[in-house]
Amino acid sequence: MASSASSIDTSSARIKQGVAPLRAGQGYSFVLRRLHSLSGIVPIGAFLIEHFISNSEATKGVQAYNDQVKFLTSLPFVHVLEWVFIFLPLLYHGIYGLYIWYKGDSNVGEYPWTGNWLYTSQRWTGIIAFIYIAYHVIDMRFLGVHLMGGGYQNAFSKVWFDFQSPWTIAFYVIGIVAVSWHFAYGVWLFAAKWGLTIGDQARRKFGYICAALAILLIGIGLWTITGFVQTPANQVPYVEHD
Amino acid sequence: MANSKSVILKIKRQQTPESKPYWEEFELSYRPGMNVTSALMDIAAKPVTRQGKPTTPVTYDSNCLEEICGSCAMLINGQAKMACSALVANLKQPITLAPLTKFPIVRDLAVDRSVLFENLKKVKAWIPVDGTYDLGSGPRQSAEMQEEAYPLSNCISCCCCMEACPQFNDKTGFVGAATIAQVRLFNSHPTGSALKTERLKALMGDGGIQECGYAQNCVEICPKELPLTKSIAAVGGQVMWQAIKDLFRT
Repeated sequence: MASSASSIDTSSARIKQGVAPLRAGQGYSFVLRRLHSLSGIVPIGAFLIEHFISNSEATKGVQAYNDQVKFLTSLPFVHVLEWVFIFLPLLYHGIYGLYIWYKGDSNVGEYPWTGNWLYTSQRWTGIIAFIYIAYHVIDMRFLGVHLMGGGYQNAFSKVWFDFQSPWTIAFYVIGIVAVSWHFAYGVWLFAAKWGLTIGDQARRKFGYICAALAILLIGIGLWTITGFVQTPANQVPYVEHD
Repeated sequence: MANSKSVILKIKRQQTPESKPYWEEFELSYRPGMNVTSALMDIAAKPVTRQGKPTTPVTYDSNCLEEICGSCAMLINGQAKMACSALVANLKQPITLAPLTKFPIVRDLAVDRSVLFENLKKVKAWIPVDGTYDLGSGPRQSAEMQEEAYPLSNCISCCCCMEACPQFNDKTGFVGAATIAQVRLFNSHPTGSALKTERLKALMGDGGIQECGYAQNCVEICPKELPLTKSIAAVGGQVMWQAIKDLFRT
């Protein structure tokens, strides 16, 4: 009897299995997780909006698009800017995001509720965005014709040639939808978790604003793609490959 | 097939914390107003499986039988619910009963939920009035404050919010919504707020409020309808202010 009694003893020091209690005063996960949340808004989200706006110049034609690329690539300290405000935050947000995904146990099968689906969607859109952005950055920034240091006149052509493949266009559509969704819901999550939208009504109303933001970004993205696809080949300058 | 007057239960059983689980089926005759706890009492009165095999009564926690003590939480048809308030008439048959999955099993449907008690101690979820002499009456609270506080005081420590949470697991060691709601309750109390800084700093530790993924299952599952997501947002803001103060004032 004594041995069976000790196995169900629930006194504090005896929790050996199951979820560990709060580790008050230990670790850095608070700073890392809040930095992950913040980095998704600033600088990544801010850059995302700039990127969508800049790219939509493609709807005005080859010259307008190339001029925009000229402006951006000729900013002072452009390499410092892109590493500090784009590449490093993206790497941090992406890699720490994968770790967050690994730690969560999605359970929409048992609890198929809206918030839970959104939780799961944030993880799936995150992984799609990670793969898409990795491809997009390597392909557009590091491979093929170089647009930095005076290569701006090839900018429109570079994207235009890529879009000759319907598979690339499909991948871009999926990427744009996933990134827009992930960002807009991320803004909503930021407001809820940082205590900006506390009440249920405030969170619901802000949800409509974030949904509108997602739709707006997806709209701009798809409109930008049509800018490239609808430009006839004879208007696209020849690009000399390295 | 059972006739319409009978109730079929499929129960996940486990003899000891280490032994292998197995399923047993029971058939009971339906009684008006029957709930899962009363069904388990009927099994205890006559512990024979549907196949006619004698077995042991099913072990489960229960006390008040009116959804106020919080002890009888279990998985009923796959979701965390209170057995006492789960009316058999409202449940799809066969009714499956299983222990909560995120807490160590004691036996059958009884689990060890002491992690919540540990978490409540970590965040000092109390009002510091103990002493050797009478401190007199506390500050008056407005009706508005009472209205905010009362729903939070309804927590029955059943742990349903933690069971349903996708972030509450071994990998995160997340503290869970119930504890965060109690931090909001005691921080809002004029005397309890003396420990506010300590509570907020505790919630910044590993497994703290940052692990919330805002899936909002907690607020959906809570049998006492606590405003859990509102509490996480409110305490999330308090923790951020504390972090900013710590950063710039120390």
